[in-house]
Amino acid sequence: MTIRMGFVIITSRCIDCDACMVACRSENDVPLGHTRNWVKSSGVQGQFPKVSERFQPGNCMHCDNPPCVKVCPTGASQKRPDGIVIVENKKCIGCKYCLTACPYDARFSNPETGKADKCTLCLHRLEQGLEPACVQTCLGKSRQAGDLNDPDSIVSKLIAQYPTRILLKNVGTGPNIYYIDEAVPEIPEGK
Amino acid sequence: MSKVYTWDQLFSRRLFIKGTAATAALGATVGMGLLRPKSNLGQGSSDQSSAKGVKHVTTICEQCVWRCGVIARVEDGVVKRLEGNPNHPNNLGKLCPRGNAGLETMYSPDRIKFPLLRAGARGSGLWRRASWDEALSYTAEQMQKIKDNYGAKAMMFNSTDNLSQPFFEILLKAYGSPNYGTQRSLCFNAMTTGFLYTYGTPQPGTDFSKCKYMIFAGRNLAEGISNNETQEMIEMVARGVKVVVLDPRFSKTASKATEWLPVRPGADSAFFLAMIHVIIREKLYNETFVKQYTQGFDDLVTEVEEYTPEWAEKKCEIPAATIRRIAQDFAAAAPAAIAHPNWRTSNFVNSFQTERAIAVLNALIGNWAKPGGLIPDQELSTAKLGVLSHPAFPPAQGIRLDGVPWQYPMVPLAYGVIQTMRDNILTGKPYEAKGWLISRQNPVLSIPERQKTINAMMKLDFVAVIDIQASDTAYYADVILPESSYLERFDGLIPIKNKLFIRQPVVEPLYDTKSSLMIYKELAEKLGLGEFLPYQDEKDLLAKQLQPFPVALDELQRLGHYEVKNFKEDHSKDFEFQTSSGKIEISSSIMAQMGKKAVPTWNEPPRPEQDHFYLLTGKTAQHTQMFTQNNRWLLEVFPENRAWLHTSVATKIGVKTDDEVVLESEVGKVSIKAYVTEGIRPDCIFMVGGFGHVSKGLKAAYSLGASDSALHKTVTDPISGGSALSETFVTVSKA
Amino acid sequence: MELTWGLMIVIYLFAAGLSAGAMITSNLSYLYGGQDFQRVSRVGALITPFPISLGLGVLVLDLGSPFNFYQLFLTLELSSPMSYGSWLILIFSIFSIINFYLWLPKKFQIVGQTLQLEKGKKLLAKIMPFLSVGVASYTGLLLNAAVRPIWNAPLLPILFLVSAFSTGVAAVILIATLSPWERARHKELHVLTMADVGLIILECLLILFIIVMGRFSSDSESVAFGSLLYGHYAWIFWLLIVGFGLMLPLLLEFMELKNKIPVKWTWPVTISSSFLVIFGGFFVRYIITYAGQTSSWF
Ligand SMILES: Nc1nc2c(c(=O)[nH]1)N[C@H]1C(S)=C(S)[C@@H](COP(=O)(O)OP(=O)(O)OC[C@H]3O[C@@H](n4cnc5c(=O)[nH]c(N)nc54)[C@H](O)[C@@H]3O)O[C@H]1N2
Ligand SMILES: Nc1nc2c(c(=O)[nH]1)N[C@H]1C(S)=C(S)[C@@H](COP(=O)(O)OP(=O)(O)OC[C@H]3O[C@@H](n4cnc5c(=O)[nH]c(N)nc54)[C@H](O)[C@@H]3O)O[C@H]1N2
Ligand code: SF4
Ligand code: SF4
Ligand code: SF4
Ligand code: SF4
Ligand code: SF4
Ligand SMILES: [Mo]
Repeated sequence: MTIRMGFVIITSRCIDCDACMVACRSENDVPLGHTRNWVKSSGVQGQFPKVSERFQPGNCMHCDNPPCVKVCPTGASQKRPDGIVIVENKKCIGCKYCLTACPYDARFSNPETGKADKCTLCLHRLEQGLEPACVQTCLGKSRQAGDLNDPDSIVSKLIAQYPTRILLKNVGTGPNIYYIDEAVPEIPEGK
Repeated sequence: MSKVYTWDQLFSRRLFIKGTAATAALGATVGMGLLRPKSNLGQGSSDQSSAKGVKHVTTICEQCVWRCGVIARVEDGVVKRLEGNPNHPNNLGKLCPRGNAGLETMYSPDRIKFPLLRAGARGSGLWRRASWDEALSYTAEQMQKIKDNYGAKAMMFNSTDNLSQPFFEILLKAYGSPNYGTQRSLCFNAMTTGFLYTYGTPQPGTDFSKCKYMIFAGRNLAEGISNNETQEMIEMVARGVKVVVLDPRFSKTASKATEWLPVRPGADSAFFLAMIHVIIREKLYNETFVKQYTQGFDDLVTEVEEYTPEWAEKKCEIPAATIRRIAQDFAAAAPAAIAHPNWRTSNFVNSFQTERAIAVLNALIGNWAKPGGLIPDQELSTAKLGVLSHPAFPPAQGIRLDGVPWQYPMVPLAYGVIQTMRDNILTGKPYEAKGWLISRQNPVLSIPERQKTINAMMKLDFVAVIDIQASDTAYYADVILPESSYLERFDGLIPIKNKLFIRQPVVEPLYDTKSSLMIYKELAEKLGLGEFLPYQDEKDLLAKQLQPFPVALDELQRLGHYEVKNFKEDHSKDFEFQTSSGKIEISSSIMAQMGKKAVPTWNEPPRPEQDHFYLLTGKTAQHTQMFTQNNRWLLEVFPENRAWLHTSVATKIGVKTDDEVVLESEVGKVSIKAYVTEGIRPDCIFMVGGFGHVSKGLKAAYSLGASDSALHKTVTDPISGGSALSETFVTVSKA
Repeated sequence: MELTWGLMIVIYLFAAGLSAGAMITSNLSYLYGGQDFQRVSRVGALITPFPISLGLGVLVLDLGSPFNFYQLFLTLELSSPMSYGSWLILIFSIFSIINFYLWLPKKFQIVGQTLQLEKGKKLLAKIMPFLSVGVASYTGLLLNAAVRPIWNAPLLPILFLVSAFSTGVAAVILIATLSPWERARHKELHVLTMADVGLIILECLLILFIIVMGRFSSDSESVAFGSLLYGHYAWIFWLLIVGFGLMLPLLLEFMELKNKIPVKWTWPVTISSSFLVIFGGFFVRYIITYAGQTSSWF
């Protein structure tokens, strides 16, 4: 079976600390004023004192059907066979078409390189057998990454065990971040 | 005399990076850029660029006081990344946002890069560069002059918790001053004294892993991060453990909790006293435990008789039925239930009573040294380092400026009351202070009433500050002795249970800076006190600390930690309580001796008048204290503090989120953006502390947000010495 | 999202459309208008290369890596409108320059024989309409492909096409009226104005359809179109586009056609109405480019 890299994000475990954002900036030299990942808040919902707030971390969804790749005029944006969507800097002309095409606003134009920039799933770390920086540092173990096609991966096990949702299903991008809102008492062992 | 610089010139990149395009870039670019100045300035000889390839160095984080393990990745002499050390119990392999941003602390353009002597009026921001020899000689001269003219007591020594603090204390004692100011009374005096007078230990641990019921009264682990405990808290929530949070505002911990109780500020003790009432009334306490290990239970029974949940409801504004239910469920979960000791609990003068009530509540259910309960003092079970041998200290002359113990007889000597020290500089009573040596502390922002602290500094003959950046305090100093950042230096070793950890340089210092270990030592030498800090250099000292263990320093450096063989945790003394009765003192002997009510009791906290609001303070996950606001990576995730207003208040004064509002207290006035939310009591306003810097040397942080220290009145609990930060009331209006 | 594509792209989209519109106006006048329409054909042919060159210029300036521009022409990505659009525009531009040369007054035509040149003119006049339709609708397809609310309106390419022709016609009218040399005569202008009136009416209908379809589509799109109708962009939509860009010129052109304009006013009215059409066309691109980006899916 082919590899299909993706994320599971357990929102119930996120405390909105933003360690993942700083880790990504540091790992990937993300310039000030831009970010490859984020943590969104629902804002405080309800009325005092019956209130709630939820946090939803995110980054590029490494979509199955990525509009960013489709629109790229030079072939710089690519979906790799392992599912990771990347930008080949050499080919990128910085037209920003892919930025406008991504419904998750997961890309930015890197002022230092002039190229489109986005989450690479920390490909360079995966190659060394390391977890992505944001996953590695996540205080809540809220962020998990792995091969969605491998039943022995943490992500597959989580998806098998808990109800998940994806973002903007209707847009048809086939995103590969699966969100779990329920409490997950234990992160399963796995790859 | 060398050239006089303004702060702007001092910190302009151009001064340091001559001829290079100084882009405000990150990572590699910043690293490379900043490596240059050293050669430009002609300092040192070590050529960074010669170090080739990638190496990993294990060290300890110092972005806050928690001391997490870090593994630094260094590429060609540039630190590229910090990652958590999986072998470190304080963080279990993970770094919090601040720990992840450590590189920006080291590579910040606003670092102080060489010793500075003031060249204009104090606070004018005019400086000239000095050599280390000149700066240290000048500092020693001034300190000696003060000692000769006014006695050692006229010199004050301040430092906030850090790994080299023991050596600062040696310097202080060798010099002979009784005046030592730590952050403690601004931080956790209420908790530490409350527990000390109950259990004989100031800070028992908490077993999150097995706990089934947790009550936090203000402890906000999601934002006041203690890395491993924060992780354990999240696991606890994920396991479905009951987590009750008392906090007047909806903190991020509250958003994760099973139940948020927006307690009236300062009225937490009513809640806990009523819980005790219910537990006693309904006989839910652990009778055998209470009989065997505690004293004064009967007095407690009498005291809490009238503290019914219905009574408490009127005080703390939490429904009686809720209090009753929580008391019952809490007791049912015993002993795997904890009313958390909390941490920065100095909110009200009565916080000591709150802490005592919490301590006693835990005792009633007998959760001491039980799975899921409170953990006895861990220091007993910690490896002991080798110590320096030095001559006996001279006796400290004179009484302490901070009022301990003559004004605050019950405050432990080691804790002190820093805010009273500050006040007494101004009053000149009981004597005039003349000099101040401050290391790793930013009292200008951390002590209430900022203006007073600045005035106090202005009044002194001499102020020297050891810092890594132009903190607000350094800005008003006469001498700034720049310390190397934590990634460029050694510090004292740190034992945690059976393991020893080391902080060591990840790269050579980028600038002309030194470790505080060397600054203290060299200062001591210039003062003729060299024999008190008898080591050649940092490595020599660490080797001495390592002496009891069969491991060489370079081995420890390579591995990052050393595990003591055959180490046995000592639990034999778990039930030997270090109180005068040897028991858990429900009724405190010391309180009784002092003629105070010996069991936890209710003290009515003040309420704001019409149109005034409680001013609450607290942490945010993305910043540390009064320190990291200049860290640009952290500013990206938390750019400035805002004043939390309840929707109804905002509507009344006609403001929306991000509109400017003016807050005014008896002692100050600030302008700040509003954050309108349903997540705060309508009678409260909340601000994260640490913003509103006055130092122009903090280029990124200068004037961002506002400082609540500018608003805070100085209110001190006479028993614990804790600074009651929330007894300040403010008005709010549209700017 | 924050604005990724700003004024530069608006100018690019607008300029490409304008050139395409002017080109087709020129071609059709030449093919079907005969001798009488030589003047407007020439005006059209002579202006086409300029807007599109300007558009390409700003597009390159807007690139993050302008020196990597050539990468566009090392490949043809059929799924990317920008890729085939760039090829299209490249060919269009080359031909429009040739066409420009062919329509220059004789004294400037230093190479080629007159007869061959005439042949070339005819050939190009037959090819260029297809390329023009391509270029004009490509600007809509470009936005279409970046599946965002508003941008993904199926009629968008048609709207851009119609709007491009309308601005193209108006540009020809404007220049032909202003030109001190070979100024167009009433007769030709009358026909062009008639065409423009038709195009404006068509454009109004298209905008109406697009909005109605959008409002009845998903919530995200409904909200996005709401920003045009009564939100952030409402003043541009109602005042600059509907008012000044469509209704006013429509009224003026209608009155011109009905000869309701006093003679001494015809010149300024013709200039203003055609200018307003161009102005409106610009804001159509502007509002769609901007509002499409500030919208999002939910
Ligand atoms: N990210 C981060 N982590 C830190 C620090 C930091 O600066 N940044 N600092 C470290 C230090 S030194 C400390 S001391 C700890 C502090 O850690 P904590 O004590 O957990 O945190 P604080 O944010 O100081 O205060 C907690 C809460 O008390 C609430 N509060 C105010 N008044 C009252 C009251 O009357 N009753 C109750 N129940 N609650 C009240 C405030 O709304 C706030 O949410 O954090 C440590 N960890
Ligand atoms: N309004 C308000 N006031 C508060 C609090 C609050 O929540 N709100 N919290 C209170 C609490 S809990 C505490 S613990 C205190 C803390 O009060 P302080 O100890 O005064 O504050 P810090 O921010 O910890 O000060 C750290 C200083 O050390 C410097 N520094 C950082 N790293 C290094 C280093 O490696 N070497 C040297 N030499 N210096 C370094 C920083 O630049 C900064 O100037 O504040 C208290 N005051
Ligand atoms: S999230 Fe955006 S950038 Fe990532 S693959 Fe999907 S469309 Fe492309
Ligand atoms: S910016 Fe680069 S990656 Fe994105 S579409 Fe343009 S060429 Fe492709
Ligand atoms: S996987 Fe890597 S690149 Fe992607 S968001 Fe996480 S840290 Fe950033
Ligand atoms: S590090 Fe984890 S817990 Fe913290 S904000 Fe990111 S996802 Fe949430
Ligand atoms: S809690 Fe965060 S800032 Fe504090 S030591 Fe640990 S990683 Fe560093
Ligand atoms: Mo603290």
